[in-house]
Amino acid sequence: MPNYRRLFRGSSSPKVPTVSASIDSVRQKIQDRKELLVLYFNFDRYTKIEEIYGWEQLDEILDTTTEAMREFFQTSALAGSQVMVNFHNDDDFVLFHIPDQAVPVPSDGEITALTAKLHESIAAKVEEAHGEDIAALFDTFVGRAHIHYDPKIRLERQLYRAIREAASSSNSVEQREFALKANDLRETLRLGALYIDYHPIVVAETKEIFGYEALARGKMKSMRRPEVMFEVAAQTDMIWELSRLCRNTAIGGMDKRLERDQLLFLNVDPHDFTDPMFTETDLDVPDPSRVVLEITERTAIRDYPKFRGRLKDFRDRGYRFAVDDAGSGYAGLGSIANLEPNFIKLDISLINSIDENFIKQSLVEQMVGFANGQNAMVIAEGVETAEEYETVKQIGVHLVQGFYLHPPGPDPASPAEVPAA
Amino acid sequence: MTESALPAVLVVDDNEDNAHIIRDYLEAKGYPITVAYNGDEAMVMFETVKPSLVLLDVMMPGRDGWQVCREMKAHPSLGRNIRIIMVTALQDWMDKRQALETGADDFVEKPFELARLAKAVERNAALLTQAG
Repeated sequence: MPNYRRLFRGSSSPKVPTVSASIDSVRQKIQDRKELLVLYFNFDRYTKIEEIYGWEQLDEILDTTTEAMREFFQTSALAGSQVMVNFHNDDDFVLFHIPDQAVPVPSDGEITALTAKLHESIAAKVEEAHGEDIAALFDTFVGRAHIHYDPKIRLERQLYRAIREAASSSNSVEQREFALKANDLRETLRLGALYIDYHPIVVAETKEIFGYEALARGKMKSMRRPEVMFEVAAQTDMIWELSRLCRNTAIGGMDKRLERDQLLFLNVDPHDFTDPMFTETDLDVPDPSRVVLEITERTAIRDYPKFRGRLKDFRDRGYRFAVDDAGSGYAGLGSIANLEPNFIKLDISLINSIDENFIKQSLVEQMVGFANGQNAMVIAEGVETAEEYETVKQIGVHLVQGFYLHPPGPDPASPAEVPAA
Repeated sequence: MTESALPAVLVVDDNEDNAHIIRDYLEAKGYPITVAYNGDEAMVMFETVKPSLVLLDVMMPGRDGWQVCREMKAHPSLGRNIRIIMVTALQDWMDKRQALETGADDFVEKPFELARLAKAVERNAALLTQAG
């Protein structure tokens, strides 16, 4: 049985010791073995998960992750030797590996293979517990530092230096991966390698299909998640191009996918309104009254009067508006009223397990009352269970979207995967 | 629901009169009740009595109700199975949103009406029964 310190979140120890508190327990072993491998595990995009699904969900995912790591290391090549795991800051882990006397320190190749397996194993566990969408939202980057113990230098200093080195090497792995994704995005734009999943929005009372939200997916595997695709685009200054491609592809599929009386909900970032090619007349839409532009509440709008002016141009042409992720922040309802939306789409964190939380119910009730006063309709998205559906319906939410009713589905011209560039 | 099926409730209020009124009322309905008069005491009772429901006053000297709620919900072994009802008026959007961040499950307006309080206890107890 490995000498295994269970220092994970969710273990029986409520506080995870810092590196300094743990050093004493390994001091002797390091001095004897004179060699040590420090691994730094950087789980990327957790912040994004928290932003979208809320902190409760993130906590559960962290628990799944730590459990998966624990299981993995108990059976991995590192298990037989001295392994210590340390929780460093909110979502990173540090692991000290001191092999037994006769056992060599694993090579870089072995660690790379181990990392890939670890990532697969965590992704599988996260997918099993929280679904494919969430699993696709994060990456594992592992940095390593191999140190030879120098008795002249204080052990603490050597360890902290090694942790910094491992952390920085995990960042360069992340940067390499990012460069590959940026390349995939450029290919996506060049080839128009996108398809649209249309996610039905139904009338809460009758379950009749009211409209569809267009969800753009890249055909390349790395571009499958729109969040990932847009994050890469934001960091490489390709947002406008990507947004244009998404909008045009979604509008292009409207005739094939939608009945005449159904609406198309299109995601639009407030920054898109600064794109000179995004105007009420440039969009190739035969009937603007069937298109609802969804604006996320998450992006701060800098110049409100100007922004409202742009919305008015679209509104005058017949377009309608939805505020997306409404209630995600502390801004209250005033900022929503400012946009005079026709639809208010509740933040998913308010819907998740709403049947079990009466404060969420009270919030949604307040939003429905507000919307009724504004002549707007409230949409609950992320409805995944019968209980959540019954609860929001009872509260008076007008429209519902979520896997409980319908999963998103592509237009009939189904996608063929495009290999990475 | 039989009497033995009713969940143990921890009532936390620094105002003894309030705490006793709630205790007597819920005890008469058959709930096993423990009372704590401040946040520190509440944390001790929480670990020893292991209640299923907590009725938590917000305004208390020392650790206030929000902090107690956060700590109870973060408790490694008991945090997952506890339901917490805050006794406070949450009127505007921001108050409720912040309450949600602490992990609270429900709230009862203060000054409270006993009937409403009982209703909140009942609806949370019902969810415990379902889960258990």
